[in-house]
Amino acid sequence: MARSVEPLVVGRVIGDVLDMFTPAAELTVHYGAKQVHNGCDIKPSSAADKPHVRILGPLVSSSLYTLVMVDPDAPSPSEPRLREWLHWIVVDIPEGHEATEGREMVPYMGPQPPTGIHRYVLVLFKQERATEGGCQLPDGRANFSTRQFAAQNSLGLPVAAVYFNSQKEPAVKKR
Amino acid sequence: MAMAITTDSGSSGWSMLSLKSALPPVTSTASSIKLPCRRRSTKCPQLVRSFSALSPVNPVHSLGFSDLNSFEHNFTIIDNGYRFYAMRHGRRVPKLNRPPDQRRALLRGLTTQLLKYGRIKTTRARASAMRKYVDKMITLAKDGSLHKRRQALGFIYEKQIVHALFAEVPDRYGDRNGGYTRIIRTLPRRGDNAPMAYIELV
Repeated sequence: MARSVEPLVVGRVIGDVLDMFTPAAELTVHYGAKQVHNGCDIKPSSAADKPHVRILGPLVSSSLYTLVMVDPDAPSPSEPRLREWLHWIVVDIPEGHEATEGREMVPYMGPQPPTGIHRYVLVLFKQERATEGGCQLPDGRANFSTRQFAAQNSLGLPVAAVYFNSQKEPAVKKR
Repeated sequence: MAMAITTDSGSSGWSMLSLKSALPPVTSTASSIKLPCRRRSTKCPQLVRSFSALSPVNPVHSLGFSDLNSFEHNFTIIDNGYRFYAMRHGRRVPKLNRPPDQRRALLRGLTTQLLKYGRIKTTRARASAMRKYVDKMITLAKDGSLHKRRQALGFIYEKQIVHALFAEVPDRYGDRNGGYTRIIRTLPRRGDNAPMAYIELV
């Protein structure tokens, strides 16, 4: 939840997924007890359920936000043919509240990286107005484009982003 | 050289005659000793040779000549002519706490894994030691000839990866000149607080 975007540049999130932006909002993401900061490691088993995403800000403000979670390294970081894999879209999140209070357009899918270490990016956009229900759902989860989604729904540049790493856990314990 | 000592059986000291007969004939072009001071060599060549057989310490020092203690004479001279410094000044090969064969195997394994998975997490020293080898493999793949392919097969452990590398590198890295990896430092490892890093293909 850093104010500066440098970790995102170093991790090449800005470049692969997003364009350069200035952070205008603050976002905290928790998987259980663990808080997500840029570049931390989260196990897929701990991330199977939705995280608690909270947008910090005054509660009575009327601005609404859209949250998108994508994986730019699908199926493997050395060959990202399915860049980006869509995991979650929530729209109409009121400021100061949790993401559960918004409308979930694409249901949450936990990280399941088949090979390699994948980055999972959570991007927050500010909406100009409440979505009347007209925004089109993407066809499948593969080959999603965050930039295109933002352009189609006139969301502009993101206001906050955070990313974490995840890799496949070893299947069975060795005897 | 050891012969010179064994002829010492009966006499109390060393006699020059027995030494001279036992040792190989004196040649002025002997490369095993580069005596820094030429004029001394004519006086006592035999003694100096026998001393050097005993220890690699600079024989001139053991004789106590005092005007040869400048910098050039402070390195030991091993008898095949190489210089051996006591300090590590200027040596840039990372040893990774392993003997040379294990070090080579470790780097081969790490580059194989990086080329297979695209991003791996290791210690910072290993990640920065690997860069050279990963760049070398990608350069071999850029060339693409059979000889280079066989050289890559001799380094990378899995041949599928070599063939996949040679197939896709021209598209992916055709324009880029060097610098095919990126290292991102991360939190230290819990067990031993080793500084860790992600290394990934750009």
